[in-house]
Amino acid sequence: MRGRRRDLWWTVTVAAFLTVLAFLVYPLVTVLVTSFSGDDKRFVLAANYERFFTHRYYYSSIINSLYLSTLATLGALLLGTTLAFAVARYPLPGRPFLRAAANLALLSPPFIGAYSWVVLFGRMGLVNRILGEFGWSLPTIYGWRGILLVFVVQYFPFVFLLVSAALRSVDQSIEDAALSLGSPPRRTIRTAILPILAPSLTAGGLLVFMGTMADFGTPMIIGEGLRTLPTLMYGEFMNELGGNPAMASTLGSLLILVNTVALMAQRYYAFRKAYNVVCIQPLRVKRARRGQLLLLSVFAYAVVIVALIPALTIIISSFMPTKGPVMYAGFSLQSYQTIFFRVPRAIANTFGLTALAVVLDVFLGVLVAYLLARRRTRVHAILDSLIMLAYAIPGTVVGVGLIVVYNRPPVVLTGTWVILLVSYFIRHLPYPVRSCTAMLQQIDIRVEEASVSLGVPPFRTFVKVTIPLMFPAIISGAALAWMTTIGELSSSILLYSGPWATMSVAIFTEVFSNHFGTASALASILIVAAFVPLFLTYRVLGERGALGV
Amino acid sequence: MTRVQVQGVVKRFGDMPAIDGISLEVRPGELFTLVGPSGCGKTTLLRIIAGLLDQDAGTVLFNDDRMDDVPPYLRNIGVVFQSYAIFPHLTVGENIAYGLKARRVAPDRITAKVAEAGHLVQLEGLLDRMPSQLSGGQQQRVVLARALVIEPRLLLMDEPLSNLDAKLRVQIRSLIRAVQRELQITTIYVTHDQEEALAISDTIAVMDRGRVLQVGKPWELYLKPANRFVADFIGTMNVFRGRVEDGAAGELRGLVTGFGERWQVPAAGTPGTSISVGVRPESLALEPGGNAGEAWNSLTGTVTEAAYLGAVVRYELRVADDLTVTADIHNPDFAAIRLVGDRVTLWFAASRAVLLPDHAGEA
Repeated sequence: MRGRRRDLWWTVTVAAFLTVLAFLVYPLVTVLVTSFSGDDKRFVLAANYERFFTHRYYYSSIINSLYLSTLATLGALLLGTTLAFAVARYPLPGRPFLRAAANLALLSPPFIGAYSWVVLFGRMGLVNRILGEFGWSLPTIYGWRGILLVFVVQYFPFVFLLVSAALRSVDQSIEDAALSLGSPPRRTIRTAILPILAPSLTAGGLLVFMGTMADFGTPMIIGEGLRTLPTLMYGEFMNELGGNPAMASTLGSLLILVNTVALMAQRYYAFRKAYNVVCIQPLRVKRARRGQLLLLSVFAYAVVIVALIPALTIIISSFMPTKGPVMYAGFSLQSYQTIFFRVPRAIANTFGLTALAVVLDVFLGVLVAYLLARRRTRVHAILDSLIMLAYAIPGTVVGVGLIVVYNRPPVVLTGTWVILLVSYFIRHLPYPVRSCTAMLQQIDIRVEEASVSLGVPPFRTFVKVTIPLMFPAIISGAALAWMTTIGELSSSILLYSGPWATMSVAIFTEVFSNHFGTASALASILIVAAFVPLFLTYRVLGERGALGV
Repeated sequence: MTRVQVQGVVKRFGDMPAIDGISLEVRPGELFTLVGPSGCGKTTLLRIIAGLLDQDAGTVLFNDDRMDDVPPYLRNIGVVFQSYAIFPHLTVGENIAYGLKARRVAPDRITAKVAEAGHLVQLEGLLDRMPSQLSGGQQQRVVLARALVIEPRLLLMDEPLSNLDAKLRVQIRSLIRAVQRELQITTIYVTHDQEEALAISDTIAVMDRGRVLQVGKPWELYLKPANRFVADFIGTMNVFRGRVEDGAAGELRGLVTGFGERWQVPAAGTPGTSISVGVRPESLALEPGGNAGEAWNSLTGTVTEAAYLGAVVRYELRVADDLTVTADIHNPDFAAIRLVGDRVTLWFAASRAVLLPDHAGEA
């Protein structure tokens, strides 16, 4: 409890700083600096930016990205909030199912969602082939409409989760008070309830915006050449005619800029709109007219089923006989046999690297969370923001940064598995840090002081008292880190090399070489692997514990 | 038994002095209470004594051992926190055994001592429960047992009753006092509740703004408050300003009040200067007492409020435009009933008036 000595916590602070500086800050700074360099490596102020904003080939990417992300955010907000209200406030049949299903939709990484829509509605897709037999056809899924659909369907659960959680913290008395003061129901929602939800709504919107801005796989798979910032960045960096790291860095810097502005705006807004709500009696489930109820049920089930279609399509199609991108009716384990024969390494890599990254995340995350929660010095506030930076930085940018920094002496990591581990570890460190800090803020510090006063020195108190009390947060932080790491594509695709391809990379390349069967089988394994720990967390901790983000 | 000495302790949070140079002594085996309004520094001082907070200056001694560089886990102190600080992941028995395990006491000795401590605080039969299954009063007894079982040289209690309802508060208060007497353990007790302080303590220190204003027995603080702050904080006090008259002799001196009464009060103050005197509500009577040779003073006013409570009737009396006086008439009979609007003259014995110097920093 005494802060003067250079104790263990001092060591942890230094170690955490060094880790974040080496693997996040330094690569990012390098990206920013590189964006100002010219072809001949001389420092050319803003030449790349000038090129970017004067060539349609380049600037169309930022217009596309902003356009898609803004529309996707609005769509996800509308869908997620409406569903949250419907499930929280009306006696819809099967409400637990609806809630669980919306959560499940988060399990498949977006690019797998995109791929599943190709399986259904692509040129060789199941639905289009069936319709084709009758001489009908649907507009294809490719292009910006398809991307927008996938974005909304894949990202609305974030809004649903946050708004549902916030709705649970609104006390019934607030609605009662508004109604008793003569405010009609609709006006009550607008003037009394939505304002309380504002921080959660904007936080959900921010997650959708930043997530879709950074999404590399979805536009790659169904964009058909539509340029967004991450895909163009990947293209510039990996160009077969010799990559252009300077332009890639420029695109990356713009991506960082857009996401950072969005993040700041939300933080500023949410900070000003944050109210302390004391909830004793949560909002009641309302009675509804039969017609109204029917309408809401149809809406809720439609949304949830559309959200579940990707996972179901993938799993079902993985058991179908396939030939290239064409799937036939029937049951077959052919695809699974093929993957265990062709890419066993990728499966082992994914599980090994993810497990290792999660263990490291939890280990450092627990220690850092303790520092952030219990020693609020300026130094620790800086550490906090640096770690949270990982939230806002797209995987493509982290990937490019790590390559630029670690492909030359003194430390060469490119071509090894370590660089993948570093990216996974640093990008998902915020999950255990967030969950554990939130938990610690609820654990009375007096409990630790009681232990110390009873004769147990501080570090043993940490092990014997604090860690057991943090356990639910540790588990849920680990489950979230696992779930988001296992299907990571945007940095893996840049960082893998030769034998170190992961399942996400394998799926991606299988999709592009039209091996849909194997892609589905790999994706099924990913979805199940992401689901199991989250499911166990639910069983052990209950819904609230598992979502303690 | 441990004697505690606090010598010149200072603690600042930023520029704000939370403890502004405090020295005091707690005698072996006594229950010593720090009382004061919130923010007065009482909890800060307790945490410094516990070693949970480092002071900026000054020394804390247990008997003759300097404690300043001894970390809290080596001080052998039992601490009871306002928020209980029960270990929620351990059973009642494991909570009580926690400190014994840290001391590597043999398992069978632990079992015996836990049972004994459980008996002491009346927790028999609850040792296997989890804390969440206990009521607030039971949780408070668990942390009391947990603090006592390690046979600490000192027991520190930080507002231990403030999360309990009024009835339980009295119950646990007597339990704490009984256990403390039985074990003869030196105890420092922090509260903001003056009534609790009066009821439980051997010695009380009244604190305000990081300073100790007065240390004494409960009755000393009540009957002879050192200044206006203590007089107001401990009980209710009517305070009157007046000018000391010239030429009075003996133990009493003449005083002319702001509203023109001539009083006899205990001697103090230079003639011609302005002083404050205090009179407790229960010192006021409807008639002067019969004791020969005793000087009685009077004041007259209009009843603005009358609260008849059976055993006592409390009157609020407007004596001057800016002066209201509270009077408690005990055991009132029919003759003692006055109604709002009545003109009433009240009396008090000169010896019951208390001289109240303004304490430093007060306007």
